[in-house]
Amino acid sequence: MSDQDNKKPLKLFFWLWAIITVAGVAVSLWAPGYLMPRSMSNNMHLTILTMVVFSVAAAPVAAGVYAASIYMLRTWSYRGDDVPPPAPVIRENNKVVASWLLASTVLTVFLLIWGLGALAVDNSSTGKNPLVVDVTGQQWVWSFSYPGTHVESNQLYLPENREVEFRVTSDDVTHGFWIVNMGVQVDANPGTITTIHTTPNRLGEFTVRCEQFCGLNHSFMDTEGFVVSTQNFNSWLAAQPQRS
Amino acid sequence: MTTTLERNATAQIPKGGGLARRQNFGTAVVAGVVFAYLFWLIAHLTLDSTGRPFGDQVATFTGLGWLIGFWIGIGAFNGPFRWLLGRDHSHADDMYYAGQNMGKARYWKFTTDHKVVGVQYIVVTMVLFGVGGILAMAIRTNLIAPGNHFVNQQVYNSFIAIHGMVMILAMIVAVAGPWGNFVMPIMIGARDMAFPRLNALSLWTLVAAIGLLVTTLAVGGLPVGWVVMDPISNQAGIGMDFFALTIIAFTVSTTVAGVNTITTMMTMRTKGMTLERMPIFTWGVFMAAALGLYAFPYFLVAESFQILDRTSFTSFFVSTGGGTGWLQANLFWLMGHPEVYVILLPAVGALFEIAAVMSRKPVFSYRTAVGSMAGLAGLSALVWAHHMFTSGWAPTLGGPFMLTTEIISIPTGLFFLVLIGTLWRGHIWMKLPTIWLFGFMANFIIAGITGIYLSDIPLDDQLHGTMFVTAHFHYVFVGSVLFGAIAALAFWYPKVTGRYLNEYLGRISFWFVFVGVQVTFLAMFVSGLRGMPRRYASYSIIFEHTNFASTIGAYTIMIGMIILGVALVTSWNKGEPSGPNPWQANSLEWMVPTPPPLENFEVQPVITEDPYNFDKEMVRR
Repeated sequence: MSDQDNKKPLKLFFWLWAIITVAGVAVSLWAPGYLMPRSMSNNMHLTILTMVVFSVAAAPVAAGVYAASIYMLRTWSYRGDDVPPPAPVIRENNKVVASWLLASTVLTVFLLIWGLGALAVDNSSTGKNPLVVDVTGQQWVWSFSYPGTHVESNQLYLPENREVEFRVTSDDVTHGFWIVNMGVQVDANPGTITTIHTTPNRLGEFTVRCEQFCGLNHSFMDTEGFVVSTQNFNSWLAAQPQRS
Repeated sequence: MTTTLERNATAQIPKGGGLARRQNFGTAVVAGVVFAYLFWLIAHLTLDSTGRPFGDQVATFTGLGWLIGFWIGIGAFNGPFRWLLGRDHSHADDMYYAGQNMGKARYWKFTTDHKVVGVQYIVVTMVLFGVGGILAMAIRTNLIAPGNHFVNQQVYNSFIAIHGMVMILAMIVAVAGPWGNFVMPIMIGARDMAFPRLNALSLWTLVAAIGLLVTTLAVGGLPVGWVVMDPISNQAGIGMDFFALTIIAFTVSTTVAGVNTITTMMTMRTKGMTLERMPIFTWGVFMAAALGLYAFPYFLVAESFQILDRTSFTSFFVSTGGGTGWLQANLFWLMGHPEVYVILLPAVGALFEIAAVMSRKPVFSYRTAVGSMAGLAGLSALVWAHHMFTSGWAPTLGGPFMLTTEIISIPTGLFFLVLIGTLWRGHIWMKLPTIWLFGFMANFIIAGITGIYLSDIPLDDQLHGTMFVTAHFHYVFVGSVLFGAIAALAFWYPKVTGRYLNEYLGRISFWFVFVGVQVTFLAMFVSGLRGMPRRYASYSIIFEHTNFASTIGAYTIMIGMIILGVALVTSWNKGEPSGPNPWQANSLEWMVPTPPPLENFEVQPVITEDPYNFDKEMVRR
C-alpha cells in the first residue's frame, strides 16, 4: 500500500456495496407487487415475478456502481485549484477485464434463459376451449363482441379460470389493446387481426387502456371490464341486447 | 512561398466583391422565404386544386422552396457554381470563406473553419434545448393535476411530438456537433475537416431543417406523436409534410457530416497519429458518424414514402392499397434504435477522455473502450424490432430480438468498467466536468437496468407504451447524455473562450438538475408501473401524486438549466481566464493557443505516443 500505487483499503467499498445491495434487494422484493396493478391473470403473475427476479439480479450491479462512485469520491477525490500530481499508470489489467466480461455474460445469459422461458410460458395456450372475444378499436372507444352470440358491448366481461383468446383489430388507426391488470398487450391494426391469450384467475374489476397514440382523445379510451364467475358470465351474456 | 505571404497578409477582406461576399444568415432567410413563396405560387398555378392532396402538394413544394432558397441564400452553391463556370476558388477566396480576419460576422455566415462551425453548433444546440425545454415545461404543466387543461388537447398532442423531435435533434448534435467539429480535427492534428464546405453545408442544412420544424408547429402542428406511425399520420394536416421535409433535410445534414467526419479521421491524421494513439473521444465521434451513416437514411426513405403517399397516391404505408403501416414502423425503428447510440457514443467518448485527464491516469484498457463502442454500434443495428414486440408484427422474431437486445448490456457494462477503471486509484480532480461525470454514472446505471426490463417480452407486454418507457429513455437522454454533454461543455469551454465555465454556478446547476432528474423520472417510473400510458393529455386520479412530483421535478431541472445557461453566457466574456491548457492535458487541442488560430498549427505536429502519459514532464501552458 505504498503512496505510489495509490491503493487504499477496500473495506469501505465492500460495506457500501453490501448495504446498497441489501437495500436494493429489499426494494426489489417489495416494490413490484405494491406498485403494479392488481394481478388478475396468469400472465400478470408472471410479469410481476419477472420484475422481482430482474430487480433482485440488478441490485448488486447497481450497488457496485454506486458503491464504487461513493468510494472513489471519498478516497481519491482531489480538491485543489492546481493540477493534481500524476496517478499510477494502469493501462491494462486483463484479469479484471476478463472477470468483468465473464460476470456480465453470466448475468446476461441468466436473464436470457429466464426471459425466453417466461416468453414460452407467456405465449402458450392451453388449447382447451378458449373463449373467443373480438376486440375492435376505433377513435376513441373499444367494442367487444362474442362470436356465436350476437352480443356486442362496450364493457368487457370475462369468465374466471377460462382461457380467453382476443382477436384484435381496428376500424381506423392503430390502437393498443392493453388489459392493465392482466399483463397482455397487442396493437389493434386496421385490416389485420392480431391475437393474444390470457386466463383471468381472479374476480373483480379491471381496466382496459389504449397504449398506442391514436389522436385527439387517446387519453379517454379507458374502459372498465369485469372478471365474473362462469354462471354470472352466462347470465350477463343472456341479458345483453342481441345484435343480428 | 506565396502561400505563406497570403496567409500572413492582414487586409484580406476585399471591398465589395460581389453578392457572394454579402451572404449571411439574413440573406438565407430572405431567400428561403422568397423561394418558398415562388414555389407556393408555381404550385398554385400548375397543380389541380380540386383533389384532396392539393394542400399536401402545395405544402411540399413550399417546404422544398424554403430549403433550396435557404441553401442559395447562405451561399451553399457558390463553390460548385463557380467551379462550373471554370473559376474555382483562389486561395484568397478559401481564406475568406474560412472567415479570416472577419471578426464576429463569420459566425453568421457559410464559414468553413471547423472551429466556427463548432461554435455555431453550440448555439444551435442551446436554441434547440431552449425550444424543447419550453415545450417540456408546457407538457409537464398540463400534467400537474388530473383533468388539467393548461393547453388545448390538440395543441398538447402537437407539443409532445415537436418536443420529441426537437430534443432528439438537440441530443444528436449536443456533443458531436460542437466538439466533433471544434476539437476533433485538432485532436488528430488536422488543419481543418477533409471537406470544409460540406462541414458548413451540414450545419446550415440543420438550421434550415429547424426552420421547417418550426413551420410544422405553425401550420397546424403534428398531433400524431413524433414517431409519425401510419395510418395515424394521415390524420395530420400539412404540418406532417413539413415534418417529413424536416427529416429529409436533417438526413442530408447528418449524412454530409458523417462522410466528412469519417474521411477526416481516416485521411487527415498527422504524422505518428496511429489509430491507437487517437484520443478516445475521437473514437466516440467516429463510431457515431459511421452509425449515423447507416441509420438515418432509413428515416429519409420512410419520410419520402410518406410524402409520396400523401401527395402522389402511392400506397407504401396504406393498407387499402397493398401497403402496411408496419413497413413504416420497421423503417422508423431501423433508424430509431441506432440513433440512440449515435446520440450516446460521443458523450461516452468525451467522458472517457474527461475521466483520464481529470484523474491523471491513462484510459483504462483503451482497446476495451474502443471495442465496446464498436460492439455497441454494431449490435444496435440488430435490435430494432424490440420496439415492435407488442405490435403483432412477426411474433416469431420476438425471441431473437430479445437475445440481441439483452446482449447489448455486455458492451454497455464495459463502459462502466472503463470509466471506473480509469478513475480507480487516480487523483480525481473535482472540477465541473468530473462532477457531471459522476452524475452520469449514477443515472446511466438506472437507464441501463430499466432498459433490460423492457427488452424482456413478458415484461414489455405490460410496460410497453407506458410512462415507464418514457422515464427509461429520459434517464438515457437527460440523465446520461445531457450530463455527458454538459461535462464535455465544461471541459472544452476554456478551449473555445479562454475562460472557465463558472464553477460556482455550474455546481449549483448540477444539484438542481441531478435532484430534478431523480424526482421527475423516478416518479414517472412509478406512474408507468401503476399503468399510466404515454402521451396522455389527461389522466385518472390514481396517477395524481406521481405526476405532481414529476412536474415539480421538471421545474427543478428547468431552474438548473437556466442557471447553466446564465453561466454559459456570462463566462463567455467575463469568466476566469484559463490559459491554453487549464487541465494540463496532453492531447493536441491543448497544445495550440486559445482560441486556436485559423488552420490550427504553426508547425505540423508529430506524434510519438498517446496523450495519456501524465507522469511525464509536459509541454507546459
